[in-house]
Amino acid sequence: MAAARYWRLVPRGPGLSLHTAAAAAVTAPEMIGPAVAAAPVARYPPIVASLKAKSKAARQRRVERWQAMVHAAESVDEKLRILTKMQFMKYVVYPQTFALNADRWYQGFTKTVFLSGLPKPPAEPAPAPALDLAALRAAACDCLLQEHFFLRRKGRPPLYREYETIGSPFLDQLVAALMGLLSAHNPALAAAALDCKRPVHFYWLRGEEIIPCGHRKGRVDALRYQINDKPNNQIRMSKQLPEFVPLDYSVPIEIPVMNCKPDKLPLFKRQYENTIFIGSKTADPYCYGHTQFHLLPDKFKRERLLKKNCADQIEVVFRANAIASLFAWTGAQAMYQGFWSEADVTRPFVSQGVVTDGKYFSFFCYQLNTLALTTQADQNNPRKNICWGTQSFVFYL
Amino acid sequence: MALASAPARRALARPGRLGLGGCGAPRRGAYEWGVRSTRKPEPPPRDRVYEIPGLEPITYAGKMHFMPGLARPVFPPWDPGWTHPKFRRLPPIHEQPLYKDQACYVFHQRCRLLEGVKQALWLTKAKLIEGLPKKVLGLVEDPRNHIENQDERVLNVISHARLWHSTEDIPKRETYCPVIVDSLIQLCKSQILKHPSLAKRICAQNYRLSTTWNRESLLLQVRGSSGARLNAKDPLPPIASREEVEATKNHVLETFYPISPTIDLQECNVYDVEDDTGFREGYPYPYPHTLYFLETANLRPHRFQPDQLRAKMILFAFGNALAQARLLYGNDTKVLEQPVVVQSVGTDGRVFQFLVLQLNTTDLASNEGVKNLVWVDSDQLLYQHFWCLPVVKKKVVVDWFPSPWR
Repeated sequence: MAAARYWRLVPRGPGLSLHTAAAAAVTAPEMIGPAVAAAPVARYPPIVASLKAKSKAARQRRVERWQAMVHAAESVDEKLRILTKMQFMKYVVYPQTFALNADRWYQGFTKTVFLSGLPKPPAEPAPAPALDLAALRAAACDCLLQEHFFLRRKGRPPLYREYETIGSPFLDQLVAALMGLLSAHNPALAAAALDCKRPVHFYWLRGEEIIPCGHRKGRVDALRYQINDKPNNQIRMSKQLPEFVPLDYSVPIEIPVMNCKPDKLPLFKRQYENTIFIGSKTADPYCYGHTQFHLLPDKFKRERLLKKNCADQIEVVFRANAIASLFAWTGAQAMYQGFWSEADVTRPFVSQGVVTDGKYFSFFCYQLNTLALTTQADQNNPRKNICWGTQSFVFYL
Repeated sequence: MALASAPARRALARPGRLGLGGCGAPRRGAYEWGVRSTRKPEPPPRDRVYEIPGLEPITYAGKMHFMPGLARPVFPPWDPGWTHPKFRRLPPIHEQPLYKDQACYVFHQRCRLLEGVKQALWLTKAKLIEGLPKKVLGLVEDPRNHIENQDERVLNVISHARLWHSTEDIPKRETYCPVIVDSLIQLCKSQILKHPSLAKRICAQNYRLSTTWNRESLLLQVRGSSGARLNAKDPLPPIASREEVEATKNHVLETFYPISPTIDLQECNVYDVEDDTGFREGYPYPYPHTLYFLETANLRPHRFQPDQLRAKMILFAFGNALAQARLLYGNDTKVLEQPVVVQSVGTDGRVFQFLVLQLNTTDLASNEGVKNLVWVDSDQLLYQHFWCLPVVKKKVVVDWFPSPWR
């Protein structure tokens, strides 16, 4: 038998049997001297569960071995590779979705509490120069007028993309102009990196289900989620933004718990590459996020939602987009620093977001306090992620 | 309907080309109008009575059914009274409203001129000067205009564009070329604290340009949009002094006989002569400052050669300058007292071409007189090569050149 053969090989190698090696180890410290406190040396090798048996203990040991591999990985790239290399069916979460009450579902998936209104700004040590509102307003008006009126474009915009063809260049110009004008107040903005339509990906596990059918029927399986987002613009910095509230700040509001499977949202499963990406790779020194700008496509126009009798879903669309996109971005930033669900973040990761459909703007702030969302890591985790947000208000009349 | 398409009509009009090609397989064009078995049957030939002049054929049209002995009626083609936007038939070229007898040679963004820069200089009546003008070089060398950690930041920009900005191992040129240009412009804009005039500029994509001018009995036009344009509130100051401008009178334009100067330009008879800067009146940033041309195609044959790219830059800069001059000083052809200056940058992600054009005169019909001036700085490599895959286990930018960055 293979096992018996294996046993015979072991003593032949170094010439000693296992028993003699253990006996030598036991006698060695006694021989060194009584001054050294005799550390309790194991007389027998540790009794652990089997590695390849078809049992729950073996599975637990395999999971722990995999987690130890991630902890022992030297570079962040290797950690991310080990965490994302196995592909299974996962839910694809779209930040911009037509699903009803999607923001409550997304709060559950990402363990986020939503607070309306923006957080209090931190007390500034030095008085900042007065904000030149007139210049900012003039710059914004110029960008608006250029895209909407002065620029003569070729041909008609494609069907159902009128808002996007005007809104996307308008946002680009607005962000560039505001970055230039506000760099007097925030010198870090002058050195920041600006991305246009770069993808942001995040992959995480949350919750469990019993597999309903298939050869693994009846077994417990984790729920996997993936966000593939493409913000219109994003600003990345090399220094992290300061936190809004302390890491263990407890919010009395409960996170909405949904009683059915995510499939009811509707959310669909697919199996493809698991990617974690903030907009550039791990080697980039600009690895912390500042602000994201999202443009809602024509599908989520106010007029369209009102025609469908979904007037209450207007704010939901903005909130769902912000929660999902900002969670993905801050989560990816945290993973780029080496944190993951078993090695939770030691400092909060903060980012901001602006969601617009061209005419109505909403502002959001997000603080990531915990990445431990898997069932195993979430057992004694009181921390919650927090998202602050405003209502959408009109930018121009 | 398959037979309503033009290729079907062409096939029917030339019956000699019908029949199967070699090997018993249908010809390639057959799939356009359908195989023979599915083709609509040809209409029966007209009655002989129609060929006899002076005879009025008696047909069964009034009886509304076939009658042996009477001629088959021939009806005029049916006019439905409205046109479906998918099946619109354009009128023939001679009947279109913008048809003119004189042919116009149009330069658009995909025109590759055979003679390159020489042809562009002849078409725009310009004199070439190698290297950028001293004023611009002076700005570059001025240490006050240098950015702190310039080298390190540009290296970061190159690495970001060539390596980091996408999840693939080797990003394609279609993505890295615009990323590198945007990042470099962003780096320039970061100097806004030192140079507040940078705030008075705005970038515009997808603008539509159209200008026409006469050149020795040839009507030339620049039309279309390509790349981004940086607009400014204040015009660029003229670079060459009046003496240098007067001195260009003695310069003779280089001809390239026997090649015609209109080679590779699109010849068309249906065109509009109106000038269009791409923006409406009252635009707060009326003066063109810099144009950016990106060659982003992944395959080398789809990209422009450096010479063709320089020619395209000259012609578009000239088109913008001419439209601006006509807007400011009217349509008369004259020598401008305040020359219009437009800059241009063209790149394919690694090799940069810089151009400054000064429009001195709108009198372009004759070969004599004051010429326009063009300063060109060509083929500046930003970096020699970029190894994306680990060579000896490290990712390296080999030998990058700080000069084009300045």
